[in-house]
Amino acid sequence: MSVAVVPIRSGRSGFQRFVTGYGQEIVVALSIVALFIVVGLYNPRFLNDTNINSIFAGNAYIAVAAIGMSMIIVAGHIDVSVGSLIGVIATISGTLAVSGYPIWVAWLVPILFSIAVNAGVGALVAYMRIPSIVVTLGMLSILKGGLISATGGAWISDLPPAFMIAQARIFGVASPVYFMVVLTILAALFMRYTDFGRAIYAVGGNIEAARAAGLNAERTTVGVFALHGLFAGIAGILFATQLQVIQSTVPPNLELTVITASVIGGVSILGGTGTVIGSTLAAILFATIGSALIFLNVSAYWLRAVLGLLILATVLADMIRRRRST
Amino acid sequence: MMTEPAVTLNQVGKSFVGLKVLSGVTFDVRPGEVHALLGENGAGKSTLIKIMAGLHKPDEGEILVDGKPVSFSSPREAHHAGIATVHQELLLFPELTVAENVFLGQTPKTPWGGVDWTRMRKRAGELLDSLDSHDLDVDARVGSLSVANRQRVEIARALSQEARVVIMDEPTASLAEADVLRLMDIVRRLKARGVGIVYVSHRMPEIFALADRVTVLRDGNHVGTHDIGDVDETKLVSMMVGRAIDKLYPVKQGTSGETILELKDVSYRSIVRNISFALRTGEILGIAGLVGSGRTELALTIFGITPATGGAILLDGKPVTIGSPGAARDLGIAYIPEDRGLQGLIRVQTVTENIALANLKRLTRGLFVDSGKALAEAKRAITQFGIRARGPDQVVRQLSGGNQQKVVLAKWLATNPRILIMDEPTRGIDVGAKAEIHQLMRKLAGEGLAILMISSELPEVLGMSDRVMVMNSGRIAASFEGKDVTPEVVGAAMTKVSARDAA
Amino acid sequence: MTLSKLLRHETILALLTVAALIALAMLSDKFFTTSNLLNQGRLMSEVGLVALAMTFVIVTGGIDLSVGSILGLTAILLGVFWKNVGMPLPLAMVAAVVCGTAAGIGNGFIITRFRVPPLIATLATLALYRGLAEGISEARSVRGYPEWFYFFGQGEIAGVPVQLWVLVICTVIAGVILGFTPFGRATYAVGANEVAARFSGINADATKMWIYGAAGFLSAIAAVIFVSRVTTTRSDMGTGIELDVITGVVLGGTSIFGGKGTIVGTVLGLVLIQALKNGLALSGVKGDGTIVVIGVVLIAAVLAGAILDRNRGGS
Repeated sequence: MSVAVVPIRSGRSGFQRFVTGYGQEIVVALSIVALFIVVGLYNPRFLNDTNINSIFAGNAYIAVAAIGMSMIIVAGHIDVSVGSLIGVIATISGTLAVSGYPIWVAWLVPILFSIAVNAGVGALVAYMRIPSIVVTLGMLSILKGGLISATGGAWISDLPPAFMIAQARIFGVASPVYFMVVLTILAALFMRYTDFGRAIYAVGGNIEAARAAGLNAERTTVGVFALHGLFAGIAGILFATQLQVIQSTVPPNLELTVITASVIGGVSILGGTGTVIGSTLAAILFATIGSALIFLNVSAYWLRAVLGLLILATVLADMIRRRRST
Repeated sequence: MMTEPAVTLNQVGKSFVGLKVLSGVTFDVRPGEVHALLGENGAGKSTLIKIMAGLHKPDEGEILVDGKPVSFSSPREAHHAGIATVHQELLLFPELTVAENVFLGQTPKTPWGGVDWTRMRKRAGELLDSLDSHDLDVDARVGSLSVANRQRVEIARALSQEARVVIMDEPTASLAEADVLRLMDIVRRLKARGVGIVYVSHRMPEIFALADRVTVLRDGNHVGTHDIGDVDETKLVSMMVGRAIDKLYPVKQGTSGETILELKDVSYRSIVRNISFALRTGEILGIAGLVGSGRTELALTIFGITPATGGAILLDGKPVTIGSPGAARDLGIAYIPEDRGLQGLIRVQTVTENIALANLKRLTRGLFVDSGKALAEAKRAITQFGIRARGPDQVVRQLSGGNQQKVVLAKWLATNPRILIMDEPTRGIDVGAKAEIHQLMRKLAGEGLAILMISSELPEVLGMSDRVMVMNSGRIAASFEGKDVTPEVVGAAMTKVSARDAA
Repeated sequence: MTLSKLLRHETILALLTVAALIALAMLSDKFFTTSNLLNQGRLMSEVGLVALAMTFVIVTGGIDLSVGSILGLTAILLGVFWKNVGMPLPLAMVAAVVCGTAAGIGNGFIITRFRVPPLIATLATLALYRGLAEGISEARSVRGYPEWFYFFGQGEIAGVPVQLWVLVICTVIAGVILGFTPFGRATYAVGANEVAARFSGINADATKMWIYGAAGFLSAIAAVIFVSRVTTTRSDMGTGIELDVITGVVLGGTSIFGGKGTIVGTVLGLVLIQALKNGLALSGVKGDGTIVVIGVVLIAAVLAGAILDRNRGGS
C-alpha cells in the first residue's frame, strides 16, 4: 500500500469498438463489395448504371420496411403481416390517387393508416399480452382477405404522373435510393442516440430489468409498433409508385424477405441486439445476389435456395458465436 | 454516531392474495451504516426490500425518507429518493455494454438532446474506478461478464443514481471466495462515502465482518434489531428459527453398509476434476463447498446431464456409463435438483403429472400411460409424505416450497432408486417442512438408501451427514468423518484458496 | 377441477362451432347437404394433416414455418422422380415422402443440435426447401399422372373422400398419442419446462426430432394428396399453408408458449375455419374475403382467452 498504483482504465480504441460493435454489418457490406467485384470481372455489364440503379432502387422499399422490422425484432417481437400491409397501403394510395384526391393525401393517408393499424397491434401485444406472432398472423388474414374481397385483385392504372414519387430521379439516381439511405441514417441515429431508441434495446433485451430501470415497457412496445407502421407505410408508397400500375394483391413472401433482411443484417431473433444499418445492407445484398445470379448465368430459379442457405449459415454462425461467448 | 435514519419503514405490513407476508415491521437505515437483514426464506425479507425499492406498496404503515413520509408508486420514484437495489438475479441487459447498463434510463445527454456516448463511457469508467474495478471494460457486453463483474456493474449503476441507500440482496450468494472479499471491500468503500447499506445475507462471517446493526425477521414479523456487538451467531440463529438449533436434526444412526457407488478420477472438462470417493448404502454423505466449487456440477455428472469426460464410475463394483438422466434413472440413481422451479418441477402441471414424469416407463401398460395407476401413486405419495395439497389434481405452482419439494422427492422415490442425490434439499423451505424432510432423509438412509447431500448451509451439512466431503475449485479439498467434523475445519477447507488455482 | 379448466377453451370453441354451423345452415340451404360437407372435408384434409403435427410442434413450444415448403418440395420430387428419374410411380411416391420426412428431420436437427430458435430455423428452411423446389423444377409443372393415382385426391371409399379417411385415421392416432401415451406426456413436459423434463429423465431432443420429423412426414403425405387432387405438380404448391395451419392450431386452444393444447381443439379449430370459409362463400362473400373472418376469429379467440386468464388471476 506504499506506492499508489495508477491503474490503467482498460478500454477499446474507436476502431476496435467499431469492429466489435458492427461485426455483422461489416461482413454484409464486404460481401456486397466482393460480389460486385467478382461478378463485375466476370461480366462488366453487371456494373453499368442501369443494372446498379435497378438493384438499389427496385429493392429500396424492402430495405425501408426492414428498418421497421428490425426495430420490432430488437424489441423482442415479430410482424408476419407486413407484406399484406404493404399491399393494402399500395392499393389505398393508388385508389386515392385515381379518385382525384390531392397527391399528398394519397401519400399521407395510407401511411397514417399503417401507423394506426400497427399501434393497435402493439396495444394488443403490450397490454393484453398476446404474442405478436399470433396477432400479426390474424392481421395478415384480415389485411390480405380484406384487400382481395374489396378489390378482387383488380389493377389500378391511369395513375397521375406526379403520384409516381418512386420514379423520380435526382442527379441520375432514382428517388427510392435517397429514401433508403436517408431513412436508414435517421433510424440508425434514432436507435443509437435517443432514449426511446435505447429503450427498445432495453425492453427487448430484458423486460424485467427495463421495468426495474423505470422504463414503461408497454408504452415502448406500442411506440415501436407505431414506428414500424411508419416505415411500412413509406415502403408501401415506394412500392405503389414504382410501376405504372398497382396490382391490388399482396406481394408474395414479402414479409419473409423483410424478416430475413433484418436477421441477416445482424438483428437477433431473441431480441435486444442488432442495427438498422445491417438490415438495409442485407436487403441490398439480397438484391445484388439476385441480380448476380442472372449475370453469372445461374438460373434465377435457384435464387431462393441460395438465400435459404445464406440465412441458415448466418443463423448457425450466430448461434455458435453466442455459445462460445457465454 | 447516532445520525438520523436516511430511510425508515414504520410498522409496515403487506398481504398477497389474503396471505399476510409482513406485519408491523419497523426497520431503518442510517447514512454510512451497514444494516444486515436476516431471516429464513419466506420470513419476509424480500417483501421488505421490495417495499423499500418501490416495487410493492405496503398495505399498512409508512415509509419515511429523511423523516418525511413518502409513497413510492414505482421503482423510479424510489430511485429519485436515493434508494437503489442490487438485485440477486442481477437485472441487467446482457446485449448492451457495461457503460450503457450503468446509465440506462438516465443517460448523459449532448447539448442537442442525444445520448452522449463519450461522456457516458467516461463516467462509467470513473464509477468503476471508484469501486476499484479498473479491469472492467466499459465497452464489454454485459452478457460476456462473470457474475462478480455483473454485480459490480449493478453497484456502479446504484452509485450513478446518487444513491444514499443501497439494498444488497444476497450479494455473495453466487460469488467465489476471492470475489466475496472484493465485494466486502466495495461495501466498506460505500459505507465510507456515507451510503447506508441494507445487507441481506445468510452468511454469518460476512455479517459479523460488515454489519453495524442486524435485524431479524421470522414469519413476516420483526423479531428484533441489535447492534452487532450485542449478539453472537447462536443468538441470531435461534432468533431466525425460533428455537435452539441442536433440536433441528434427527439423530444419526451410523449404520452404513457396503459400497454401492464408487468414483475413480472422474472429471468433467475443467469444472469437475479427478473426483474419487465411495458411497455406501445407508449413509448420508454430505458435500460442502461454495457456489462454483463444482459440487452441483459433480452431481450433474453422476446424473448424466453433463456426462463424465474422464475417469470411471462404478456401480456395485462394475463400471457403468451414464450418458443421460434416463440412463442414470435406469441404474437406480435419482437427483433432486438445486433449482426446484426450473429443474425439479413442471409448475403448470398437476401433482399427479409431476410424480408420473420420471416413471412413465413403469406406468405404461402396452402403449398407453395407465392414468389410474398414476393417480393412485400420487394419492399414496400425498399421504405418505404428508404433501399438503387440495388433491392429486392440484397444479404444483400453487403449493408451498416445502410441499413442492416433497412432490419432487415423491417423483424420484417412485423410481425406487438405490442412490439419492439431493442438491440443496431444503433451500427456500420453512422450518417445519425442513425438519420433515430431514427426518425423511434419515429414515430413507435407515432403509438402506445411499444419500449424497449437497448443501450451502453448514449447520445442515454438519447436522445431517455421516461423513462430509468438502469441494473447492472442482476438487475434493478434504474429507471428514465422525468427531473430526467441526464448522471451523469445514469452513476452512471450503474457503482455502489452493496454491494451484491462485497461480 | 383441472379437467374442466383444460376443457374450457375446447368447450367454448365447440359451442362456437355449433353456433356457426347452425347459423350457416340457416343462411344457406346448400350448406347442410352431404355432398357439400364431404367436399369441405376433402378441402380441409391437407391443412388438417399438417395441423395434427403442428399441434405437437406448438405444444413443445416450437413452431414450424417450413411445412408449406416441404409440401411443395415433396410435390416437385414426386413429379421429378417419376417423370425425369423414371421411377415407377409408387416408388416415386415413397421416395418423395421419405425426402419430405428427411426435410422435417433436418429442421429437428438444426433446432436440437444448434439450439436455433424454431421460428428462425424453420424460416430459413422455408426459403431453402421452397428454393430447392423451384430450382429442381425450374417452374415446369409435371402432368399426365396415371388414372389410378387420382384415387388419393379424388376417389371415395364408402362415399367418403379418400383423404378424409386418411385425415380421420391420422387424427385418431395423433389424438391417442398426444393424450394417452408416454410420448404425449413427454411432449407436454418438454413444452411446459424443457429443463425439468430433461432432469426427469426425458430425452427432450429425441422427442423434438420425432415431432419435427412427423411434421415433415405429414406435410409430404399432404403433398401426395394435393398433387393427386389437382392432377399436376407445381413448385408453389402449399405456399402460405403454414399460416392456415398455425391459425387452426392456435384457434384450437394450443398455447403458442407451449405446454398446452389438444388434438380435439385443433380439429374444432379447423372445422370452424372451414365452415366459416364455406358458409361465407355460399352466402356470396367472394373467395379470399372469407379469410378476413379467420383473422378476426383468431385474434378474438386468443384475446378472449387472455381476458379469461386475467380474470382467473393466472399469469
